[in-house]
Amino acid sequence: MAYGVTQQMIDTFGEIVFKLSLNKQTRRGDAVRELDFDILEANRDETGLTDEEIAERIGLLPEQVGVVRVFTERKYHKIDQHRRIYHLGGGKRWKKETYRSPAERLRFNEEAMMLREAINFKPELVARYIDDGYWINETLNGWLTDHAQNTPDAIAIIHPGGEVTYQELKNRVDQLTNGLLSLGLLKSDVVAVQLPNTLDFVVSYLAITAFGGVMQTIHMPYRDADIEFLLGHAQARAVICLPAFKEFQTAEVILSMKDNLNSLKHIITVGDSASEDCQSLQSLMIEGTPEIDNPPVGSDPFLLLYTSGTTSNPKGVPLTYQNMMSNARVSVDEFKMTPADCNLSAAPFSHLYGLFNFHVALNAGATNVLLPAFTPPDLAKMVEATKATTLFLGPAHATAMINAGLMDTHDFSSVRFSVFSGAACPQPMMKTYRDKIPGTRISQLWGMTETAGATYCRFDDAEDIPVRSAGRASPGDEVRVVSPEDGEPLPANTEGDLQVRGCSVFPGYLNNEEANADAFTEDGWFRTGDIAIIDGDGNITITGRTKDVINRGGVKFNPADIEDLLVQHPKVEMVAIVPVPDSALGEKACCVVTLLGEVAVTLEELCILLDEHKIAKNKWPERLEIIDEMPLTPTRKVIKGRLMDQL
Amino acid sequence: MAEEFDPAEVKQACERYVKKKGALTFGLANLETLERISPLGCGPSAMLPKVKSVLCVGVGGGTRGAWSADAKTLAYIGDTETMAYRVAYGLAFFLEAKFGYRSIFVPPDMDPEKGARVPLQSMKLHAEIAGIGARSMAGDILLHPEYGMMYYASVFTEMELLPDEPMAENPCPHSSCVKLYHQSGQTPCMRFCPVECLSGSIGDDDKVAEMNYNAHACAEMSQQYEAIPGVLLDTLDAKDPIERGMALHGPENQVIWYKLAIGAGELLALCYECMRVCPITQTAPLGNPIARGAGMRQKIAEAEAAAKAEHAVEQAAEKGD
Repeated sequence: MAYGVTQQMIDTFGEIVFKLSLNKQTRRGDAVRELDFDILEANRDETGLTDEEIAERIGLLPEQVGVVRVFTERKYHKIDQHRRIYHLGGGKRWKKETYRSPAERLRFNEEAMMLREAINFKPELVARYIDDGYWINETLNGWLTDHAQNTPDAIAIIHPGGEVTYQELKNRVDQLTNGLLSLGLLKSDVVAVQLPNTLDFVVSYLAITAFGGVMQTIHMPYRDADIEFLLGHAQARAVICLPAFKEFQTAEVILSMKDNLNSLKHIITVGDSASEDCQSLQSLMIEGTPEIDNPPVGSDPFLLLYTSGTTSNPKGVPLTYQNMMSNARVSVDEFKMTPADCNLSAAPFSHLYGLFNFHVALNAGATNVLLPAFTPPDLAKMVEATKATTLFLGPAHATAMINAGLMDTHDFSSVRFSVFSGAACPQPMMKTYRDKIPGTRISQLWGMTETAGATYCRFDDAEDIPVRSAGRASPGDEVRVVSPEDGEPLPANTEGDLQVRGCSVFPGYLNNEEANADAFTEDGWFRTGDIAIIDGDGNITITGRTKDVINRGGVKFNPADIEDLLVQHPKVEMVAIVPVPDSALGEKACCVVTLLGEVAVTLEELCILLDEHKIAKNKWPERLEIIDEMPLTPTRKVIKGRLMDQL
Repeated sequence: MAEEFDPAEVKQACERYVKKKGALTFGLANLETLERISPLGCGPSAMLPKVKSVLCVGVGGGTRGAWSADAKTLAYIGDTETMAYRVAYGLAFFLEAKFGYRSIFVPPDMDPEKGARVPLQSMKLHAEIAGIGARSMAGDILLHPEYGMMYYASVFTEMELLPDEPMAENPCPHSSCVKLYHQSGQTPCMRFCPVECLSGSIGDDDKVAEMNYNAHACAEMSQQYEAIPGVLLDTLDAKDPIERGMALHGPENQVIWYKLAIGAGELLALCYECMRVCPITQTAPLGNPIARGAGMRQKIAEAEAAAKAEHAVEQAAEKGD
């Protein structure tokens, strides 16, 4: 280094030189004006010295002082401090006395940046969404704040514990936002939530997203391995959960994983108290208006959901406000939802469908009724008690209520609109359901974690449409069916691979380049993996999954319709047809069933049923496996990948 | 060659000159005092060996509008030092041309060899000793009881003139500041400093007991020249292309390159080709200096013709006599 200066010399003398130089000046009295030379001389060191004077004072060469000083100044020098004056405004416009630089206010954790790097939309598509007004700068907290200001006394939530107005909800959310900020959480940090559809879930969700965090949902049935995989993959910094759920000691199990999960810093449990090394949710309810340095904006990710993983490990799906909020906002009009509506979701909020429903109702300023855990009687009672007007449920929910006779014994007359999603909707069930609520309208919605509510029947659609189809593309979305062979779009009423493109479609999987490469076409269409038919009016009917297709000696067929028939057999509870390797044909169909009773079903009996329905013989299963329990996702989809592994 | 002169008359002539040019205050600093107070090698004689007098001019601070503007705008237009420099530069020429004594405009620059924030000459010290400003609690910014904040410039001359005295009283701290200080422990300048670079105390006599000024923090915010090497070092140290790009092109740094570009004579906003073909610009009746000057030229021609005619009349009269 120059002039014999060493790093040690800089370390040793740096602070002394910095202080003695004109960088720091102290004046005692008014000695210059008063020409009091004695005081001037006595205070000379404090008024700031030249390098020569400093050198003389501390025993270095003046040139060495220069080097030491420059390096020490460099250590302290920040380059963007003039922003302070911009920020402060000046004069009577003075804002805050404490200024924090943008670099400090807008900082992110490394894990958060990895998540943000997964947000990868096609620019030309984004330009279109913005031009067309689908993507705007909106956030969940923005919606909540608007309602709290405009309709503070409107009921936002009805839950088993009572009613909560929008103002009360906003207050609770602000309190928890303060608490989460007090933990040092930053924007885009992932906070996992494993909670049922409770007020705690809603407040947690809105508070996490209010400070700019990203909520990761964990389905309630998930246990050790699933939870560890999800928390690890998402690099979650905090988790909010029940202390225990049924026999599962949630908090204890997650605590035991902490050593393996480097990012996980906080375990927050619902309730007033918490076990050691956890924090109670109540302790994070801190009064006051949150001061959010880095508030969320429309393009930020705010949700990290995971696919249900029917074919492989769950894949992380980050979603931005613009994705999800636009989808919900445009759907409000299509569903004719208004602030007067009382909306009930039977679907869990850990799933996209439940959240979509929550968003729609929140956007409308309607009331959301919370059903913590689905049982047919609880759902029927809740509809009757709250006079719910809109009901979002799955076909299994409806079937269970119909079969239990609950729709005959409870008052469903308030329900003006019901939306079905989550699985294929058998037409007889749809008709029966509609017949049970005279005057109600029904809809089918099709979506995936990756697409949000991509298609659905409109409130005003003709009666037959929701019975047989999942409706048209949501505004801002496009759907098409392409040939599985060459990827070319197919004409109407032709079965093919379903693809979706539009404002609600996700930006790409988190840390999964392989999946991302397969997921999208060059021009941005998402390959859904579903097989569908689109009619001349644009209504889609899902007919199966591409990965379920069986290739028997070069003849491919979709086993979904076979499964629909076989499940009607009186001895069969659930059925799944999967391909198994065959030396002659390549693949052949294996039928896997669980039984309704003790009496086993035979392959021959199943084939007779298919014969009665005139099903071509090449689609008949050639092997039967009876198992005790069907592997299901939390959303009750058969995990065929696991079945194939077992076979 | 220098001529005999009356120092008092010269001083008056200088004061008339600078005030006509826009200065509000004028004074002479005692050379001996300056040499005694200045650090070694920083006094006036280090710059002009035969200096005999130090003349100081002060011009007013920003306009009332500037003080009412927002902070960002004020930061750009609050300074009037170039006005002071122009006056002082003229004064140096005035002294040489009128009286024949060698004089220099004192360069208002930093001395890179002397250390951090060490000026070639302290104009502040000159002005204070000349009695046209006194040190305030705001980092020793000079204040004048009648003109408030001013900008100063100096001229050294080999002409020996009579020095003035420093101000008898310091206007700082103002009585309202003393009151606020006793209530809150801070004066307004301390309280409203964006980087909290000011602190100090007022004594029982309501005068400044101590004034602390963190010049580094102040300059860090307000003097961009120190940021340029910082920006370049940040660019070299950047971890990734985005960070590197931000170091160079980030909004907080763009102003640096903007100012450098001005200094380098780069185009600012216009290539002017749009205005070359703009009919309003090209045909505006008073936008054309030639047209604007036509009236003047006409008047000159008329005056010349009148003078000529008068002259002719006079000549004719003389001949007639």
